[in-house]
Amino acid sequence: MTRRWLGSLIGVVAVVLLALVGNLSAGNEIALGLDLQGGVSVTQEPVGEYNSESLDVAVERIRERVDALGVSEPEIIRQGDAVVVNLPGVDNQDEAIRLVQVTGAVLLRPVVSASPISPGAGVPETEAPATGSTPDTTAAPGPSRSIPGATTPDTAPDTTPEATSETLATDSASPSDAEPVDSVADTADDSVPPTGSDLPPASEFADVAAQPISSDPNDPTASVIVQNIDGTEIYQLGPAFATGEVFNSDATADIIQGGWGVRVTLKRGSGGEDLWNIGASQCFSGTGSCPTRRMAIVLDGVVQSAPTVNQPSFSGGVDITGNFKESEAKDLARVLKSGALPVRLEVQAVQTVSPTLGEDSLRATLVAGLIGIALVLLFMILYYRTLAIVVVGGLVVSGGILWNVITFLSASSGLALSLAGAAGIIVSVGITIDSYVVFFEKLKDEVKAGRTLRNSAERGFKSTWRTIVAADTVSLLAAFTLWYLTVGSVRGFAFFLGLATLTDLVVAWFFTRPAMMLLARSGRIGRRGAFGIKVAPGGAS
Amino acid sequence: MTTSHRSSLGRLFHGETAVDFYGRRRRGFTVSLVLLVLSVVSLFARGLDLGLDFEGGVAWQVPATASMDADIARDVLRENGLDPANAKVQKLSNASEETIRVQVADQPADVVDAVQKSLAEAASVSSEDVSVTSVSSSWGRAITEKAIRALVIFLVLVTIYISWRFEWRMAVAAIAAMAHDVVISVGVYSVLQFEVTPATVVAFLTILGYSLYDTIVVFDKVQDNVKSFSGTRMPIADIVNVSTNQVLMRSINTSVSSLLPVLSLLILGSGVFGAVTLREFAIALLVGMLTGAYSSLIVATPLVALLKQRETKYASLVGPHSTGDTLRAMVVSGLPTGVRATRRAEATDGGPSSGGSDTATAVLTHPPRPRKKRRR
Repeated sequence: MTRRWLGSLIGVVAVVLLALVGNLSAGNEIALGLDLQGGVSVTQEPVGEYNSESLDVAVERIRERVDALGVSEPEIIRQGDAVVVNLPGVDNQDEAIRLVQVTGAVLLRPVVSASPISPGAGVPETEAPATGSTPDTTAAPGPSRSIPGATTPDTAPDTTPEATSETLATDSASPSDAEPVDSVADTADDSVPPTGSDLPPASEFADVAAQPISSDPNDPTASVIVQNIDGTEIYQLGPAFATGEVFNSDATADIIQGGWGVRVTLKRGSGGEDLWNIGASQCFSGTGSCPTRRMAIVLDGVVQSAPTVNQPSFSGGVDITGNFKESEAKDLARVLKSGALPVRLEVQAVQTVSPTLGEDSLRATLVAGLIGIALVLLFMILYYRTLAIVVVGGLVVSGGILWNVITFLSASSGLALSLAGAAGIIVSVGITIDSYVVFFEKLKDEVKAGRTLRNSAERGFKSTWRTIVAADTVSLLAAFTLWYLTVGSVRGFAFFLGLATLTDLVVAWFFTRPAMMLLARSGRIGRRGAFGIKVAPGGAS
Repeated sequence: MTTSHRSSLGRLFHGETAVDFYGRRRRGFTVSLVLLVLSVVSLFARGLDLGLDFEGGVAWQVPATASMDADIARDVLRENGLDPANAKVQKLSNASEETIRVQVADQPADVVDAVQKSLAEAASVSSEDVSVTSVSSSWGRAITEKAIRALVIFLVLVTIYISWRFEWRMAVAAIAAMAHDVVISVGVYSVLQFEVTPATVVAFLTILGYSLYDTIVVFDKVQDNVKSFSGTRMPIADIVNVSTNQVLMRSINTSVSSLLPVLSLLILGSGVFGAVTLREFAIALLVGMLTGAYSSLIVATPLVALLKQRETKYASLVGPHSTGDTLRAMVVSGLPTGVRATRRAEATDGGPSSGGSDTATAVLTHPPRPRKKRRR
């Protein structure tokens, strides 16, 4: 038995130490929440109608924007429908608000020119890649071969396989009168060469190029220069002729003509099909506004896909095909769904915390907390004398466990310790101490009833464990319900309360129990005065 | 064990108290009732001072430099077309700096920016040093609703848990004691007109947890004693009194150890170091913990006794309960003592009994063996 207790005791201390060493060597540190570090917190909530895709897409966009900004340890939290963005170290509130205001809206813009970005060398490739571009244009609508490099005078644009092979065609479920579906099938599957063959007259092209280029990539009325999603191609795009709202929110990734593609239906009437067809016919004819015959699907200043338009008019639906991977097709479908009913996020709360205030609060909480814990320990030592060793050891072990878990979660999943969380931990010290008090009082009862220390420790722990579990279950229930259902600081508090309660259970079972059993056997606390009451003779055995 | 010549503190330390909690329940209930009525009246008459996060609004916080004080802040508001009469302007101070906090109702973003710039100008600091907090009123409502929903769900879960782990009577008593604690804590906020912030809500929820935790520890003891006294004709009042006295020291110790960190947060954290964020949190906790410890002993436990008295087993045993030294003897030994202890519960089933020992002082030397089946 002694060996088992000793094993458990050494085991728990070793695990804590190992984790400590691991965390320290990995350089993990506790990430401080906004209220402790300073920065800006913006809470947004969707208003009006939206679908879950558009909210997801909007949150992803926020994340990408924040990451691109290089904010250290940003927190982007979905709390129900609300989106909380915490930007530590950012002190310009307006910038922060602009940064996080995305909608998931999709713009459809004609591609004026496109050129690949070649990594390293600044010279764009001029030759069309051979792979996947073997022309099979027999059934393709319109002129067959294009002349690469014809669209812009200064760069020799080319098209990467991803971009060129994407085509737009009427949904096969509702074929248009103009184009038989079969032709679409033939043009799909990596086989469409770069089109845009009908070079616009030079004058027309100059008009397009002369359009002012807006610095805001989301301005629908201006020409913009943007990249595609994997950064392989850069485009000059004309003003948007429509938004993603021309589609119904039913875009699905599907296998179309043997390859992954996206199928989406158009809304009826002037806001949907008609609007779309105006743009499509322009692009199909390759006139001035759309010399490349490609139409870009743009989300938040990034071209998601720029397929070639294969038909002058569509009815019912659109197929987008190309050599998509399954995941790419699914992503595009999600973007289209989001664009069909973009979410409007409204700023609900903005909080700027100055870092000095945070620092002061942190120091105050820490110092006050440590003094509070020291007072509790002093009280324990005065009251329980030798037994207080176990309390001190237990607090050190639970402190170690908490530190390890928090640093690990900080490093791995961006958990940040907020002021409410820190206060929650200090408060939960009370719960941990209570476990000891319940145990020691029970122990005193047993000893007074004339049992030996060994016996008392065992019996005492048994009944104490039941009490602790019952009481901690209530704490855990509270922590879980609050964590799951509330927002903001209450949620942070609930998380740390739950964590501290679980730690209490672990420490009680793996540390306190073996420590007390060993102490009871050693006979040290059997001596008179060790914990304030006489122990029955033989109790020290 | 001699008990008679110990001081009351010594008795407390050695677990030899004999406080007749059940007998004095009316006094406790009266105190609680008065506090509850005061709280409710204040809640209706004065209401709660709900903070920014619940009502919505904008608050600026600007360092109190030589050129900035509350009056100047009011002037800035007037210049920006806001009525200073509707604004709350406070001076906050902590160890390292003093700040002026200006709070008004929900404002459009351009007004917020304009005031921020003017305040920074007036204080001759850069506008980044002026921190702004703004919350729309709809968001504030949403937070409150979420918190209330979480609370209701938590109560349902806890009731189910206590009913399963103990019994429904204890669940009722525990919830009643908890409601008592929360109403009084909220009442304190209403009477003193403290501002209710999200941290306060956190604190109220903690109180709720503590209160239940405390009550459950006491109920655990009651349940233990109900089992070990089951073979006797002890009235439930005695069992409850014995249990309460047995856990008295634990309740006091736990309360002291829980209160010490909170007092430290309150006095050192917010008083000396000036972390204002902590103050309200700590005050709510302090009040809640005190009422929590009080209600678990004075409200919840007598309530369980009253509820359990209606059970058939205990209904017939209602009568004078032990006090004084008899109670003390039971508290110390954890065993039934006295005239009624030794008489078997023959009255409950009405059948002839084998008859227990009739000697009044006879005491079982061991707790009764747990029965496999309840005697009927």
